[in-house]
Amino acid sequence: MSGRRIADRGRIDRNRTISFSFDGKRYSGHPGDTLASALLAQGVTLFGRSFKYHRPRGVLTAGIDEPNALVTVLRGKKRDANIPATQLEIYDGLVAESQNRFPSLAFDVGAANQPAGKVFSAGFYYKTFMGPVVGPLRGTRFWMFCEWFIRRAAGLGRADHEPETARYQRMNAYCDMLVVGSGPAGLAAARAAAEQGKRVIVTELDPVAGGSAKWSGETIAGKPAAEWAAGEAEALADMDNVRLLTRTHVWGYYDGNTLAALERVGDHQPVATPGAPHQRHWVIRADTVVLATGAFERPIVFPGNDRPGVMLAGAAQRYAAEFGVLPGKRIAIFTNNDTAYAAAAELASAGATIAAIVDTRQVISAGARELAERAGGELLLGQAVSATSGGKELSGITVQQLDPVTGSASGAKRSISVDCLAMSGGWSPAIHLASQAGAAPKWNDDLQAFLPPDPAQPWLGAGAFSGDTNTADALRNGRNAGLKAAGGRASRAQVAKVEAPTLDPFPAPVFEIRTADGKGKALVDHQLDVTAEDVRLAHREGFLSVEHLKRYTTLGMATDQGKTSNVPGLAIMAEARGISIPETGTTRFRPPFAPVALGALAAERTGDVSPDRLTPMHDWHIERGAEMMPAGLWHRPRIYALPGETLEQAYVREAKTVRAGVGMVDVSTLGKIAVQGPDAAEFLDRVYTNKFSTLPVGKARYGLMLREDGLVLDDGTTWRLGETDFLMTTTTAAAGKVMQHLECLLDVHWPGLKVALTSVSDQWAGAAISGPDSRRVLERVVKGTKVDNETLPFMGIVYGEFDGAPVMICRLSFSGELAYEVYCGAGHGTHVWEALMAAGEPFGILPYGMEALGTLRIEKGHVTGAEIDGRVTARDLYLDWMLSKKKPFVGSAMMDREGLADEERIRLVGLIALDGQPLGGGAHIVEDNSRAEPNESIGHVTAFCYSPVLAKYIALALVRGGKARHGQRAFVADPLRNRYGPVEIVSHHFFDPEGSRMHG
Amino acid sequence: MVERESPLGTAYKPGRHGNVADAAGVTLSETRPGSIVEIVAWPGTEKAALAAIKSVTGLALPDKPRAGVVKSGKAGLGFAPRRWLVIDDKEGLAAELKSAIGIETGAVNDLSHGRTVIRVAGPRAEWVLSKLFAVDFSVDAFPVSNGCSTSHHEIFAQIQRTGRNQFDVIVFRSFARAFFTTLCHAAEETGYDVA
Repeated sequence: MSGRRIADRGRIDRNRTISFSFDGKRYSGHPGDTLASALLAQGVTLFGRSFKYHRPRGVLTAGIDEPNALVTVLRGKKRDANIPATQLEIYDGLVAESQNRFPSLAFDVGAANQPAGKVFSAGFYYKTFMGPVVGPLRGTRFWMFCEWFIRRAAGLGRADHEPETARYQRMNAYCDMLVVGSGPAGLAAARAAAEQGKRVIVTELDPVAGGSAKWSGETIAGKPAAEWAAGEAEALADMDNVRLLTRTHVWGYYDGNTLAALERVGDHQPVATPGAPHQRHWVIRADTVVLATGAFERPIVFPGNDRPGVMLAGAAQRYAAEFGVLPGKRIAIFTNNDTAYAAAAELASAGATIAAIVDTRQVISAGARELAERAGGELLLGQAVSATSGGKELSGITVQQLDPVTGSASGAKRSISVDCLAMSGGWSPAIHLASQAGAAPKWNDDLQAFLPPDPAQPWLGAGAFSGDTNTADALRNGRNAGLKAAGGRASRAQVAKVEAPTLDPFPAPVFEIRTADGKGKALVDHQLDVTAEDVRLAHREGFLSVEHLKRYTTLGMATDQGKTSNVPGLAIMAEARGISIPETGTTRFRPPFAPVALGALAAERTGDVSPDRLTPMHDWHIERGAEMMPAGLWHRPRIYALPGETLEQAYVREAKTVRAGVGMVDVSTLGKIAVQGPDAAEFLDRVYTNKFSTLPVGKARYGLMLREDGLVLDDGTTWRLGETDFLMTTTTAAAGKVMQHLECLLDVHWPGLKVALTSVSDQWAGAAISGPDSRRVLERVVKGTKVDNETLPFMGIVYGEFDGAPVMICRLSFSGELAYEVYCGAGHGTHVWEALMAAGEPFGILPYGMEALGTLRIEKGHVTGAEIDGRVTARDLYLDWMLSKKKPFVGSAMMDREGLADEERIRLVGLIALDGQPLGGGAHIVEDNSRAEPNESIGHVTAFCYSPVLAKYIALALVRGGKARHGQRAFVADPLRNRYGPVEIVSHHFFDPEGSRMHG
Repeated sequence: MVERESPLGTAYKPGRHGNVADAAGVTLSETRPGSIVEIVAWPGTEKAALAAIKSVTGLALPDKPRAGVVKSGKAGLGFAPRRWLVIDDKEGLAAELKSAIGIETGAVNDLSHGRTVIRVAGPRAEWVLSKLFAVDFSVDAFPVSNGCSTSHHEIFAQIQRTGRNQFDVIVFRSFARAFFTTLCHAAEETGYDVA
């Protein structure tokens, strides 16, 4: 055990040793240690290098507010960067490294930046990355060349390029009351509400509940505060209606009292628990929130305040009391308030020598004086630390008289030799969440701090968060917040008795110590290397508003979001402007309170962005070697290629089989909507352009739907299964859109219609069997019905059975061949499909995929979503014969607008490639063949294929003037794919325009 | 009658999975009922529709949002205004309901093939489902026999609490395999049995 480890205090388990490495060197610590406490215990003071100047840095804090000691944790090849060493729990095998240094932390070439400080001042990027405006490199991209080096030299941790291996999960939680923070106020609030039977969630950033009770050294209810807190936390954890989440920080406060929290489930474990996430993203919806997030201590801004060994007084106290580590052996205190005296007393009683207590105030309270006596050391009132000395660790401080009027240190310099300086510039309540959920914070002159704004959502505050300055107040206000949140009233009953020194709760308004010579960097934002002089430079250059100050200097923009720097920065700007801090204003806090891994937000969606939607015959397709393709969320067979076949060879073979014999395609993905009710026929008359009330039962009809603006929404066939019972089919892609459209019409426009819509897409498996032999195949397998032309004419529907599976057969054709769609219960899909395949075997039946389906429909000139792209009218597609003149329908009022009726719109045509080369979807059609500068586009290709029937490459296209151009020659221009060539514009009905084959 | 094929296919792997440190947190299964039927009433015919459902199935469904009934081998749930789902081990229920309800009272749709019922049962059922759905599954907010309509990203789901620690999640058949896979993944932390 090193000299820095105290024998008897803290919550670490000295019976067990943990081994870890930092920058390649092995160290040991104990369960309960953070990386910071374990390294401090081993005498390590240098933790990192600063952002711009590469100044050596130690630990400033003991918590999530740490700006300096940021490290990268390595797990295999994964690098988790910018983790505060003060938050990182050590575990056996932990590998951590320091950041922003080269070649090593102790010897860093980037430190050469330090003397060049004036160059890297506020606005550096704005001033630098715009030239050179004079000289030989003027007008060149020289600065871009330099930028690479500058960005490399400045910075934080480095990310890896490996795929994420850790698991993240999301958790949704609901509660009556969420308590953020488990210090005395939070524990009291939780207890009070939980005893009222409320469902309570308590979150605690640290691994152990208790907040300040863990290190305050006070006594609560006759017990050491830490012991009292542990007991309260245990009691809460035992209650069924309470969930205590440790290692969890609430980082976002959103509308509707929805809060986001991050639980570090596995960060502290050497080996992940099987199935457990590395981190868990909690979305908590709470009726009421109690914010008991405590306060952050502020540093004092003075030259050399960032030297390793200078830390916050509360942090020094915490290292001693909570972790059993002395941050130094000979310590000085520098403060503008009483709280640092408690730290001095604790450090002294833990074995440190208190060399001096330097206080900016002339007069201190009796309580503070008593603590100073207990701590020992000189009490230097009305004085200030004006410089520090040492290299990579502190060796001494310089103390001078403080002029209370000018706020500058002057007069005789006195050097005091110390290895640690514990400073306190007062406390800033951690109002981040309240600021996210409220208005502008309120300045309090007594506390010299911003207090939470009035709530804009149901939350209450308690403890240091709302300005309570002692534990008794925190307990009382916490309890009352819990009672109020539980719907009760504040109680006058006593709370647990607190024994603590009586101290003056208010700090002196001292934020910065200026020296006569102005030497040395006085850091405001330690993480981004923003100095007091940078703030004044921003002022001189006109960046006066806090929002401009922040952006110009980067003050408060680092990963710590200015937890230690915002208020001192504002104070310095206020002084420069000669106005008060509240007049200067403050920026609003935004989520996240502390960094959150993107993986945590993505949760289990990593690599699994959308669910797979499978047809009932999916496994059959896979077994048959189908190459699948996505169609929305659906997986559909593209081709069933034979070994060695190209895509084109496969679909041409499949399409030829259909034209010559028989083929079958899975059409289960079509949208299917049951439209039922006494007014179903009337409803369909209104939504389709053509009439459906005249459709006989047992027949299907092709229908076209328009949007309200007169453009085409979707097409499909609708089957009349009964007088009041229709089965509507939609294109696969438009099923959801059509359902929404129809539901909106029924709910909003025609609530009087008795019509019910139900998605039955998944109820039915569908197989389309096409080709001249399709009827013969059906005849072999279907029982209970004939399928001859008389019983089952074109667009007719019959019911039958396939080996015990009921089927519904409709004779309709997308391919232009004699064809049928066979529907059965989805659970019978494979059974029916296999029965059809078996019955078709003597006819050489083949399954075909989307490519062949597309080829057959292009040859036939049928439109799909490729043409119905939301910009076309029925006339554009030559479907105006479907626009009923006998009735109004959705879109009929708008479809005749001049622009929509224009003959010169782009309209459906067919194209034949005259150079025997494939055409490409999306390629433009132009009137002359100037490849270098193609003239105006007159249209585009919507779908293309090789047509086995025509033995040519063909396409459907939307071309200006449409039919009027039939027989004309034009050119395809596709610069993206470098495809140019002549085409002939023809009718889109390439094949069997009379329809003799499908009607036969 | 031909047996109905399960949509779970390769995703259905009976046995113990995930974390095996303790007893399995949940048991996942597909209930495979004989009938899943949706009933839609017209405005004003709700009571008549409910009476017809009761006469056919014996399920006395309350006319309240999210309310349901769970009995041995059958369950009913109001999942949207004027809409109910009835699930029964018995096959052919849709035809019976259709003739009892009649088009003047409402519409009846057989969804026995179109929906898949995944059962999540066990002490950690609330925990596992809370990973997937923004729904308060605590028994006070979501009592036994109650249900809700919700979605897991693109997957629409109706959920009914069919026991203190048991939920039936009804999803579209085409999504069943994807959803079951996601559910298994979510249950790895607590350990799970596939029955």
